[in-house]
Amino acid sequence: MANIFEVKDLKFKYKTNQENVLKGINFQIKEGEIFGFLGPSGAGKSTTQKIIIKILENYQGNIFYKGKDLKDYKQDFFEDIGVSFEMPIHFSKMTAMENIRFFQNLYKKKADVERLMKRVGLWEDKDKMVAEYSKGMKIRLNIVRALLNSPTMLFLDEPTNGLDPANAKILKDLIREFKVSGGTVFITSHIMADIDQLCDRVAFIVNGEINVVDTPRNLKIKYGERRIKIEYKENNKIVEKLFSMEDLGKNKEFLNTIKEKDIETIHSGETTLEDIFIKVTGVTLDEKQ
Amino acid sequence: MKNNRLIYLIKGELIRLHKYKVTTISIFIAIIWSVLLFFVEGDIFNSLLPVLILVDATTMSFMYIGSVMFFEKKESTMSSMLVTPSKDSELILAKILSNTIHNFLSTALIITVFVILKDVQISYLLIAIAVILVTLYHTSIGLLLSYYQKDFTTMLMSVMLISFALLIPTVLFMLNVLTGDIWEYILLINPIQSANIIITQSFKPITLDWKYYFSLGYLIISGLLIYRFLVLRNFKNYAVSISGV
Ligand SMILES: Nc1ncnc2c1ncn2[C@@H]1O[C@H](COP(=O)(O)OP(=O)(O)O)[C@@H](O)[C@H]1O
Ligand SMILES: [Mg+2]
Repeated sequence: MANIFEVKDLKFKYKTNQENVLKGINFQIKEGEIFGFLGPSGAGKSTTQKIIIKILENYQGNIFYKGKDLKDYKQDFFEDIGVSFEMPIHFSKMTAMENIRFFQNLYKKKADVERLMKRVGLWEDKDKMVAEYSKGMKIRLNIVRALLNSPTMLFLDEPTNGLDPANAKILKDLIREFKVSGGTVFITSHIMADIDQLCDRVAFIVNGEINVVDTPRNLKIKYGERRIKIEYKENNKIVEKLFSMEDLGKNKEFLNTIKEKDIETIHSGETTLEDIFIKVTGVTLDEKQ
Repeated sequence: MKNNRLIYLIKGELIRLHKYKVTTISIFIAIIWSVLLFFVEGDIFNSLLPVLILVDATTMSFMYIGSVMFFEKKESTMSSMLVTPSKDSELILAKILSNTIHNFLSTALIITVFVILKDVQISYLLIAIAVILVTLYHTSIGLLLSYYQKDFTTMLMSVMLISFALLIPTVLFMLNVLTGDIWEYILLINPIQSANIIITQSFKPITLDWKYYFSLGYLIISGLLIYRFLVLRNFKNYAVSISGV
């Protein structure tokens, strides 16, 4: 697949910073994939998003969007993309629909807003002032805002942050549907489960540096401990045994156990992406930097 | 397409001026002025009405655009505007034009009240040109001022200071405290004095002198330069700084 984004040796610092906040990062986003940035707060995720959507301009390094230097794009770049920021942003004294209509009028392409609003369960409340919306509703409205121009690429900064599980699921389903319909997604998060469930590939970012970029599956194979845990009953007690997955079929003890014992449960020892993150980067995801 | 977008942006700004109660405040202020002036008689009235129009088109222009930018900053909505296809110039023009339309209407309201109640003799065409030009000019300056203010209170403070500093000599001159030809020349480089001239010369009898044309040209040319080299050039940095993301 072709790269939709190519980022080379990207460095950036804010005016008030002494040191670079981004210290020469490299990554590519492939067309049609969901690409994730996983890292703790302060790692540089939002900064990266703001740079690749042309909000922050004084960066060093090279960024190419669809093969052309990002700096050579004018305002038409924004016809192509949809953005949601870390915080839901709306005009609070206007209704949800007034917000959506106002922004939609600024684009050439227009998505079916009624369908989107129904999809996120806000159609009934479309004429309420945003000030009366709950946090979850504002976040859902935010994703409608990001989608209202039928973008080819979505940028989502911590999209599930502050959402309850039911709303988070609606949102993740929408993101998957967007991908199925041909879209590309850049998503940042410090929540391991989001990235694990959604992303085709993930970059681990800590302190302005990317440690590794790979698919969650490859990372698990590479860094995960592949073990099988068996629990069985013996003399009215539960006994637990661990086996390595290497050459499992030739492991006599394992084979005897499943043949002879009264098995209660079998689990493959899933190493979570978070465990792997800690292993690779040496920091935890909720660590403040 | 482009022109449509500017119109949608202006429409959005005007709706928000209303929803955020700025229009309510300006109508309220117009009513207060009207009531106050209603009880003023003869000569004093004749010299106060131009001052009032001047203050409304200058200081109030600063205030309105300042408060609009303050709402924008408070709700971080500039970030959403920055990721639409709107150009910087469209975003700025929408702000300036909507605030000019709004403030023009509130000034027009005051003038209308007096034309009806006090039989004020005024050229509608000239006063309309004057109020629109002065409001445009000072709204642009007000936008520029808000680039450099941290919050609404400092914004208010500096608006007060600047407009007092600029208004005082003009008002002193109008009230005949400052006299002498030399002042006429010195004061002309002050945009509020230029504004004063094109406003007062819109009252009948109309005798437009060189100062009128000079002031008109001065406001148009310096206004365009300020827009192009200060307001537009520094907009993106400012917009990012109040985007809150
Ligand atoms: N506007 C800003 N000015 C100065 N420093 C900033 C600004 N925004 C973020 N930073 C700093 O840049 C670093 C990266 O921040 P950010 O990109 O927001 O991280 P993340 O999104 O991963 O939490 C942090 O050290 C943060 O303090
Ligand atoms: Mg962030």
